[in-house]
Amino acid sequence: MTKLRLSFALSGVVFFVVLAIAPLKDFFREWKWYQYEYNDLITELPQRVKPAEIGIKQLWVRGLDRIDRCGTCHLGLSEPALQQARQPFRAHPRIDHDFEEFGCTVCHEGQGAATTYKGSVGNVEYWDKPMYPTKFMEASCGKCHKEKEVLRAPILTFGRKLIEESNCAACHRTEGFEKQWTPSLDGIGSKVNRSWLVNWLKNPKEYFAKTRMPNFLLTDDEVNILADFLMTLKTFPRDATLDRLPAVLTSGTEPQREKLAELGATRLSEARCISCHPINGRGGTVATELGKVASKVNAAWLYSYMKNPKRLQPGVEMPRYRFNETELAAVVASIQSEFVDYEMEEQPPHTPDPSYFEKGRALFKKYNCSGCHELGGMTKAEEMGPDLTSIGAKKLYEIDFGRSSIEQALPSYLFTKVKSPRVFSPTMKMPSYEFTDEEAQAITVALLGSTKEEIPAEFKVQPKARSTYAPQGEFGKLVDDLACFGCHTMFGRGRLVATDLTLEASQAQRKWIEKYFKIPYSLRPILPERMPNLFVSDAEIKVMVDYMEKVFIADSVEQEVRVDQDRMAKGKILYYEKYGCQACHQINLEGGYVGPALDKAGSRLKPGWIFHWLKDPQAFKPETIEPKNNLTDEEAEALTVFLMSLK
Amino acid sequence: MRTPATCHNVEYHLMTHVLGIVAFVMLLMSCKEKEATPQQADGTVDILQTSVKVEEVAESRLLSYEQRQGRHLYRKYCSVCHGEEGKGDGFNAFNLDPRPRDFTDVTYMNALSDVRVAETISQGGRGVNRSPLMPSWGGRMSKKEMAYVVDYIRSISVKAE
Repeated sequence: MTKLRLSFALSGVVFFVVLAIAPLKDFFREWKWYQYEYNDLITELPQRVKPAEIGIKQLWVRGLDRIDRCGTCHLGLSEPALQQARQPFRAHPRIDHDFEEFGCTVCHEGQGAATTYKGSVGNVEYWDKPMYPTKFMEASCGKCHKEKEVLRAPILTFGRKLIEESNCAACHRTEGFEKQWTPSLDGIGSKVNRSWLVNWLKNPKEYFAKTRMPNFLLTDDEVNILADFLMTLKTFPRDATLDRLPAVLTSGTEPQREKLAELGATRLSEARCISCHPINGRGGTVATELGKVASKVNAAWLYSYMKNPKRLQPGVEMPRYRFNETELAAVVASIQSEFVDYEMEEQPPHTPDPSYFEKGRALFKKYNCSGCHELGGMTKAEEMGPDLTSIGAKKLYEIDFGRSSIEQALPSYLFTKVKSPRVFSPTMKMPSYEFTDEEAQAITVALLGSTKEEIPAEFKVQPKARSTYAPQGEFGKLVDDLACFGCHTMFGRGRLVATDLTLEASQAQRKWIEKYFKIPYSLRPILPERMPNLFVSDAEIKVMVDYMEKVFIADSVEQEVRVDQDRMAKGKILYYEKYGCQACHQINLEGGYVGPALDKAGSRLKPGWIFHWLKDPQAFKPETIEPKNNLTDEEAEALTVFLMSLK
Repeated sequence: MRTPATCHNVEYHLMTHVLGIVAFVMLLMSCKEKEATPQQADGTVDILQTSVKVEEVAESRLLSYEQRQGRHLYRKYCSVCHGEEGKGDGFNAFNLDPRPRDFTDVTYMNALSDVRVAETISQGGRGVNRSPLMPSWGGRMSKKEMAYVVDYIRSISVKAE
């Protein structure tokens, strides 16, 4: 009996303990400690901060289908007094999105329902979408923001720019990236010399540091076979043939050629090749290095190419300079005498592999060279790189880390892959781009944001539709021939190396435009890119300016401004004393270098343009840094009268 | 972050004596479990503890979100005169008289309130009885953007200290 009683008492105690465990476990939840700690913390602050009510705080964002409990421990998120507080209490940075509306995990990822440190921060076991590390945080912006330039995400924007410029789209499926133009290889055997080609294939960046062409890390054998194969490709696209070199270049005397080279040097500097081409590393980077070009291509090709670039290289953005026969010969003579690589490694004579053609073709296919380069009859390789449109949603088990010892997580995988593409397996084919850490970080950010996640349309920001502007007729032909889109934007198409021409005829006076074609100059004293002299004829100028006056114009920008002395004097005071315009603009060599010089603004600009521009500069050129001063009409008119008086 | 010290100062929350004993056991357990979590000293998680060396851009680690946004804007609008490093030596600085403010001048900058700096950005030099050569950015930048820039300028002054 006593035994029974004892066991009864014991089981009573056991029951009591078991029953007590449940409320106790609840009582000692990790998050509660944080909440008590928070309430302690705020009592030490000088400001009065509302204490936290003990309990789980949950945010339910219906539109995005997210349930987040992060606020349970992150208690000071919207409390400005806690900007410097220790985590998890620190205030959230002031961002453009209200987190009450968006939730937390839609941007940060991680396990929103977790209420422990272990379950939420870092790489949580069995959780597919761990939190983005701070370094790659902007990736999340990319999930909804598909526009080209994301205002608050400079790293993402930079990464997308790199992806487009590096032409990732050549081998990978991407979304929203345009394929870049790359030269056709038809006729390369009649263009370059073999020694150059071998050096180029070994390491393209040695010849041209900013080239788009990556290093395929080929072995010496592969390089030789590929070079032999490529050197057999002698026919140009559309069966174009090289022009005969003028006699003076082939059989002229030394003094004759020297004189010719002198004229050529003058023409070359007027042509401002350096606006697009670097010469020994200095100058633009839109086109290839010219400093050693005479050791790369032969004279006949150079001559024919300068004569008509698009004939040998369809689609190239090189303008056709209007040189006459003598000038063309002079330019070639000058390039041949000056742009030589005296240190180029001459390749020793070698006997080609007997089956070099088949092997070369196979290598060409293996590395998917036709992803970028056109070569008659060659189709794109079937085996392509992984799809990049959903790379950010890749699961951990889908990644082969090989033997590397990096952290087993998607961001570190992508970062490492971009930095050293073949580190995970020697059989990988991706070439090396030699990205810096900063560039690799930006690309990783952009890739992580490509998740194909389904997000309601109202949260998404779509990119602007690509401009379909394509000028026709005489003007259209000239724009194509002179490669205007290479630098200028018109109706949303083209580059922004130079000014946007969409409203050019509203902005500038006819006479000035005509003169500018003849003697182009830089309006800004410090800009490196400069408009080349294309040596266009008067008839061609007329065609272009006529077209501009019909199309590149808006009636809304027309405005007559009444000129009188009072207003002019007032405008001068506004210019110099109130708005301090001379901080950025020069008049008579006095003033800043930031904006265009305003000497002779009265002979260059139209009054309506000045007036409307001053009222709202960004309405015309959104990227301009000209301040918007919220001028009154009267002030804008006075300034217009003053600027128009500078003839 | 939770430390054993803070674990102790919640003992007064215990309801009953019996519960207290059990609680103490559990408390010890929870404290121990805590040590096992892979949390680092600064509460962050090292993202790339890798064999591939990643040299962290030291500066951007130290800058907050606001300061990074401010830096982006600063580089676009301010650096031409005030200089990339904020020393008042941008390429256009030498055309200006008086010279642009040197943000590394700690004594001067610390004497200015955030409100005053924001006002100077918003209304330009003329708005605060200074040189009109400093343009007003109020029409170009939003209030929030100007606050970002103020935050970044402050980080320049702090760094110089």
